[in-house]
Amino acid sequence: MEKIAYPVVIAVLSLLCLSVIYPFLYMLAISLNEGADAAKGGVYIWPRSFTTINYEIVLGNEVIRHSYLITIGRTVLGTIGGLFVTLLAAYGLSYKKLPLRGTILGYILITMLFNGGLIPFYIQLNDLGLLNTFWVYIFPGLFSAWNMFVMLKFIQGIPEALIEAAELDGAGPVRALLQIVIPLSKPMLAALGLFTAVGHWNDWFAGSFYVTDQSLIPVQTFLQQLLSASDLSAVLGSNTNQEALARSSEMANITLMSIKMAVVMVSSIPILCIYPFLQKYFVKGVLIGSVKG
Amino acid sequence: MYAKLYKHRWQYLMILPGVVLLFLFSYVPMAGIVVAFRDFRIGTSIWDSPWVGFDNFSFLREPQFWTVVENTLYISVLKFIFGFPAPILLALLINEVAHSKFKRFVQSVSYLPHFFSWIVVAYMLQSFLTLDGGMVNQLIAKAGGEPIFFLGSTEWFRPIVVGSGLWKETGWNTILYLAAITTIDPQLYEAAKVEGAGKLAQIRHITLPGIMPTISIVLILSIPSLITVGMDQIYPLMNSANMQVSDVLDTYVLRSGLQQGYFGMSTAVGLLSSVIGLVLVLATNQLSRKLNGEGLW
Repeated sequence: MEKIAYPVVIAVLSLLCLSVIYPFLYMLAISLNEGADAAKGGVYIWPRSFTTINYEIVLGNEVIRHSYLITIGRTVLGTIGGLFVTLLAAYGLSYKKLPLRGTILGYILITMLFNGGLIPFYIQLNDLGLLNTFWVYIFPGLFSAWNMFVMLKFIQGIPEALIEAAELDGAGPVRALLQIVIPLSKPMLAALGLFTAVGHWNDWFAGSFYVTDQSLIPVQTFLQQLLSASDLSAVLGSNTNQEALARSSEMANITLMSIKMAVVMVSSIPILCIYPFLQKYFVKGVLIGSVKG
Repeated sequence: MYAKLYKHRWQYLMILPGVVLLFLFSYVPMAGIVVAFRDFRIGTSIWDSPWVGFDNFSFLREPQFWTVVENTLYISVLKFIFGFPAPILLALLINEVAHSKFKRFVQSVSYLPHFFSWIVVAYMLQSFLTLDGGMVNQLIAKAGGEPIFFLGSTEWFRPIVVGSGLWKETGWNTILYLAAITTIDPQLYEAAKVEGAGKLAQIRHITLPGIMPTISIVLILSIPSLITVGMDQIYPLMNSANMQVSDVLDTYVLRSGLQQGYFGMSTAVGLLSSVIGLVLVLATNQLSRKLNGEGLW
């Protein structure tokens, strides 16, 4: 019985892996195939009538190229800034004898339990003048209560003797942070930084609802807008690759589907490429985060 | 007192930015809930707009609101029924793999979808399910069947939401269980083998009891999320054809508030769901205190 069961387990897991990998292969094949030809069906893994025209047109679009810069900008700035602000607070609060510590922790905890909801938040963004600016991607998420508690837990796991010894040597809290806490927190910072970065990379909501200026939208918002598009005007308009445009209209070989697949691959390929190098960080990160804050 | 505060001036300085940011982006919006009881229009100040009592809560009498509540609960309960046991099963399967290379490969691949946005998932669904050129409909047509409008049908919406949710998060959610499994003493399995216990018996009597604390924590933590379905997932899949089943509380607030400008009413809806969420969290905390002897915080 068990001799049969084991191959079944392996087969089931292999099928599951295939179900994850195959959609990407399929989308890649469609994006590298001539649109009109792909629409006839039968392209499953390998492009039948290979072309790079879909990518030429997608990358020729100024809005897409610009949205890429916005995404990279907010990911880098939001991640570094977010880690910095949150780590500072966590480190400050790791002093158990700090007066008002309990009050401040309570003040932070309450925001995890209750919030004003979308509309009052939106009105506040409007009052602060953040709507329709790049900073709406950065400031509201800069301090993360959840990450703060994870960091606090982690820092409190660092032997106090280390920090006390540094302080006896005349190091102030800032030097203790730079020379002891940060070096020892590297794996935790890497994991939380990774999660924050992925959150920024994948966020489409802020770009869709807090921003109306098309020159400020991130890639994911562009994708969201194109998702329900019924024609190609969003991609063909403001396109600088005139030569590719001419070629595509001549042969009528791009379709909404082929362009969509190229856009989604353009947004996914960076994640697919760096994913293998990040694995060791995020598994650790989930486990750090699962410890009660 | 002042001397004590001054002594820790560096610490306070470090905490200050976080405290200010929370004030601006959490506490001011909490106070902004008064919009639910006022007649607010964008361009004026919240604090100057006239009080209207509970007028903004008139949505409670509208059948459409109750349809939205029903949709929300329907989807979240379905997602829970399938989404809760799935990672436990997958973790048990992965744990049975003897080849460590294959095991690591399965883990890596199954975590991958977690890193893509729901928008990308929606594109994937389109590429397979759409009427013009979706692979599934192409295959149906080849087999001589009638194409199905999966993405615009009320019957298919819930299976698609549950299925894509499983596809995206099951692997990722195994991490906690797999970590819990590694803490089980291997000698227990050795002893069981000596006693002649088969694989299934070992899973039932050693592995499952070993990860039971993790299972109960995950179960408890998932209770508060029962009234939020995740707008991130629903909104990209929503269209006028499936609206009858796809409109949930979050999308209702979004549409009536940000898109139609009924600020007071949609704040009231948001307030209602925030309060229910808070009650669920506090109740969950009590429950956890009773079951595990300690609360969530």
